[in-house]
Amino acid sequence: MKNKKCVAMLLAGGQGSRLGVLTSKIAKPAVPYGGKYRIIDFPLSNCANSGIDTVGILTQYKPLELNDYIGSGKPWDLDRISGGVHILPPYQGQDGEGWYKGTANAIYQNLEFIERYNPEYVLILSGDHIYKMDYSKMIKLHKSTGAACTIAVLEVSMEEATRFGIMNTDENDTIYEFEEKPANPKSNLASMGIYVFSWDKLKKYLTEDEKNPDSANDFGKNIIPAMLGEGELMKVYRFNDYWKDVGTVDSLWDANLDLLNPKLDLNLSDKNWRIYSRNAGMPPQYVSENAKVENSLVTDGCEIYGDIDYSVLFENVLIEEGAKVEYSLIMPGAVIKKGANVRYSIIAENVVVDEGADIGGDPAVVGSDGWGITVVGANLSVGKNAKISANKMITKNVLEEEEI
Amino acid sequence: MRASAVAGIVFANAGDNLLKRLTSKRSVASVPFGARYRLIDFSLSNLVNAGITSVGIITKENYRSLMDHVGNGVHWELDRKNGGLYLLPPYLTSGAKKYNGTVDALYGARDFIKRCKSEYFVICHANVLANIDISAAVEEHIAKEADVTIIYQNGIVGAENSDNLALKLNKENRVTHIDYNLSAGTKTAYGVGVTIINRDLLLDLTEKAYEEDLLSFSVDVLAKKVKQLKIYGFEHSEYAAFLKSTDSYYQASMDLLDATVRRQLFNPKRPIYTKTRDDMPTKYGTKADVKNCLIADGCIINGTVKNSILFRGVKVEKGAVVENCILMQETSVGEGAQLNNVISDKNAAVGEEMVLKGTAQKHFFIKKNQIV
Repeated sequence: MKNKKCVAMLLAGGQGSRLGVLTSKIAKPAVPYGGKYRIIDFPLSNCANSGIDTVGILTQYKPLELNDYIGSGKPWDLDRISGGVHILPPYQGQDGEGWYKGTANAIYQNLEFIERYNPEYVLILSGDHIYKMDYSKMIKLHKSTGAACTIAVLEVSMEEATRFGIMNTDENDTIYEFEEKPANPKSNLASMGIYVFSWDKLKKYLTEDEKNPDSANDFGKNIIPAMLGEGELMKVYRFNDYWKDVGTVDSLWDANLDLLNPKLDLNLSDKNWRIYSRNAGMPPQYVSENAKVENSLVTDGCEIYGDIDYSVLFENVLIEEGAKVEYSLIMPGAVIKKGANVRYSIIAENVVVDEGADIGGDPAVVGSDGWGITVVGANLSVGKNAKISANKMITKNVLEEEEI
Repeated sequence: MRASAVAGIVFANAGDNLLKRLTSKRSVASVPFGARYRLIDFSLSNLVNAGITSVGIITKENYRSLMDHVGNGVHWELDRKNGGLYLLPPYLTSGAKKYNGTVDALYGARDFIKRCKSEYFVICHANVLANIDISAAVEEHIAKEADVTIIYQNGIVGAENSDNLALKLNKENRVTHIDYNLSAGTKTAYGVGVTIINRDLLLDLTEKAYEEDLLSFSVDVLAKKVKQLKIYGFEHSEYAAFLKSTDSYYQASMDLLDATVRRQLFNPKRPIYTKTRDDMPTKYGTKADVKNCLIADGCIINGTVKNSILFRGVKVEKGAVVENCILMQETSVGEGAQLNNVISDKNAAVGEEMVLKGTAQKHFFIKKNQIV
């Protein structure tokens, strides 16, 4: 097996339970984003564009859709003779292997996979965020400082710092302390959950952590503090560009509509840093004579006969005449029928919103108390003239005239 | 039908000299069409949707952009060990320049035909725009033990199909007479440029015709052998267009604005595949006013666009008005510009406030990379 300089390990096993019905049947990294992508396209495309050709994707929760989507990795240049993409689910072995107990344990159980490539560095990523990043720069910094571990950090405001894992550093960007969600933050450098480890150091600390039955086997909670405790050299890598968590309904909705903001810092049409995805090859979108399309993102396969404003339409969506959609995400294959009204909602894949149905609430009308994004789960139907108010999570079919 | 029982051939330069400006540097097969396709995508997709896994593309000139587009056939699943995509340019032996007529072309491809172990060949023309159920046609060809099957459509002879083969069929749909160059307005069954033929017969007829210096396989060979051969017709009743002039190109493009045409051409059971580009979705701005348009990904629209086809990456700035146009990949239309009946080739740029007006009879044509 050819030696690789760096192997990336992408943690994609979590349920993303805060996304509710959107992840009831698929893992979070497989959740659609931005009209034609899935969340995992971002770390994968970043790997492809950073020259990383060996990626292990650790799956656990409901991996079928994700496995299908990744396939042999061709869309991200990861279908290779040596290296490439590997889906790594939990497996049974003779040494007590089994379900992943935590982020560190997941990597620990796959040390043999990494060993096959005998890399110098291991890059730990998660499939939770929307961002563009050249990992080769971070690896270069890691190599130049001789650090055991380099942690990517984002500068946040002091108020926000209370929500993150904060790295306290000296004037050389060396980490001397790590505080999880500090009430009184000493710095504003938030951990992005992206780590570069030197391979032998990673092996050492993962192995030691496994021996501790009280450990949560988590990078943030256990490995990083252990390394700090032993005086290992740990550095930060400062990241300044767009980075958005999409782990909640609100942040997913927000991150999608961010794409409509002309001042946005996330350029998805940058030819030098393309975001790749696996696409089904739909025909071009059609906008009819009576349609109105404003401030929106629309992709292949869509047929628009109604009105859409400030919304993101995914592949193969049909908006019938007289239907109105605003401030919403309409995911692949959904149909919004005549006279239906959808506002401030996420309509998941293949949902059929029947004639005259009314979904979601305008915050200006509802008021900030009790307002929230309404979500209709995949493959469900909302019956004729049904009414669903703001801040609802729909997990089963809604009948005609039903009011929720 | 076993996949390997049937192989495909596409004539990539069919109708080259007729599409003029669009084919000055490219073969008909690579003429961009329909916001995100090239014409050959339709023939290639028809063949692979029928389960065909070996396809030879016969090309005689200007095939660089074609090679770039089809590559190793990966987008049509033709990058395979069993079968594959083969580009067949002319063998440049001394004296031979390029193919002169379909007999010559088929003769030049005889190595490919011999190497394919398939019993049947489906021959297509790249300038035919249709989604054809070739699988059903081949099934019938085999069931009837036909020598040749010509896929046809019933209709009236007009400008664009005047040199298609005109067929007379008997009750069993056997072809009893093949005519061509019928006068406009005649009601007839005319070929849609897709022929199924048995391999050995194809080789035999081609070799004999080559020795006799015949030009056209359909006119000089098949048409003359309706009695000796069992030639059957298979009807294609859905949309079909033949791109033989800038007019027919424009008309076929505008046909895509009709929902029925789209439904038939982009049949989800037989999808049309093409080379993908990883653009982001199209962005409509605050002042975007789009009516009756077919639009690809990667566009940024801030102006008015009506009755038009926009290819990938087209930008229409604020205040610009685009009507009845076909704007190919990466065309940019500056602020306040006005375009009517314009066809622009790739990377064209129209400056601010420029007014370009063609007519329905004579479209204003902007060349590739041209700045206006």
